[in-house]
Amino acid sequence: MSAENMRFLIVDDFSTMRRIIRNILKEIGYAHADEAEDGQVALAKLKSAAFDFVVSDINMPNMNGFQLLQSIRADESLKGLPVLMVTAEARKEDIVTAAQSGASGYIVKPFTKATLEEKVQKIMQKLGR
Amino acid sequence: MVDRKDPGPDSDELYRKVGLLTRQLHDSLRELGYDRQLESAVSSLPDARNRLSYISRLTGQAAEKVLNGVDRAKAELDGIAAGAAGVALALRADPVAAVSSGQVMAYLEEARLAAQRTDAQLTEIMLAQDFHDLTGQVIRKVVALAQSLESQLVELLLASTAGAPAPAAVARPAVGALSGPAVTTAGRTDVVSSQSQVDDLLESLGF
Repeated sequence: MSAENMRFLIVDDFSTMRRIIRNILKEIGYAHADEAEDGQVALAKLKSAAFDFVVSDINMPNMNGFQLLQSIRADESLKGLPVLMVTAEARKEDIVTAAQSGASGYIVKPFTKATLEEKVQKIMQKLGR
Repeated sequence: MVDRKDPGPDSDELYRKVGLLTRQLHDSLRELGYDRQLESAVSSLPDARNRLSYISRLTGQAAEKVLNGVDRAKAELDGIAAGAAGVALALRADPVAAVSSGQVMAYLEEARLAAQRTDAQLTEIMLAQDFHDLTGQVIRKVVALAQSLESQLVELLLASTAGAPAPAAVARPAVGALSGPAVTTAGRTDVVSSQSQVDDLLESLGF
């Protein structure tokens, strides 16, 4: 699938951050993105429409990023979906938990455009896209 | 004129009573377990102070980044406008010479590069807005802390009146298990302070 056709789901409780990530994805060639304000809304969207990539925060109300990640990995139809965590959680313990729960990548906020681009490309390469 | 150095016998009695009340209050607090709560409330204040300093630092840095980005972008736009005025003059004076000398092409190339540099500045300005997310998370923690402090003081107030409820009777706001942004990283080994440290840690785990 070409980059311009890929559909991203950006999950973050702060609309400012969702907009920043959306704009950067657009700048690096990924124009199709939808947004969700927490894990619960994200999971509902993932089950009702097709997405190719999830960029998710961790610290969110209702359902946090770890819970969302675990739900995705436990769901037969979603488990292969790449999930990049973009979060302010800087504890090593959280990074290890994310990796062990099946995160495809981990970016700590604040981040640069170059970092997001590099991590997305790296995940894409691993998936052979 | 009143002699303030000699409070007199009535004042001695007053001091004695205040001393007695203080002792009774102290004993009551210990008996009810409120002394530990107060100690916990007071010990959380330096954490709140650190968090507020972090907010102040981050918002200051973001404002600085935005203003610098705007200055640079405006300088680029001024350059494009000045270049366009120069090319317009040259074209009006001698269109053939303006083109054949390469002035028009040079301007177009410079305008293209200036637009790229301006775009990069705009991206920086956009990224600087991440302070809203980072400080927002910290503000939530400070608000939760203030609510906790408030409820502990209310408990104390209730305890000083007749029919006070037990300490556990007043609900406290829940504070999330996730820690949010690392407000201070100096001297800490449990947090990372850069993306390269995240990458190193993941690499050590085989990712």
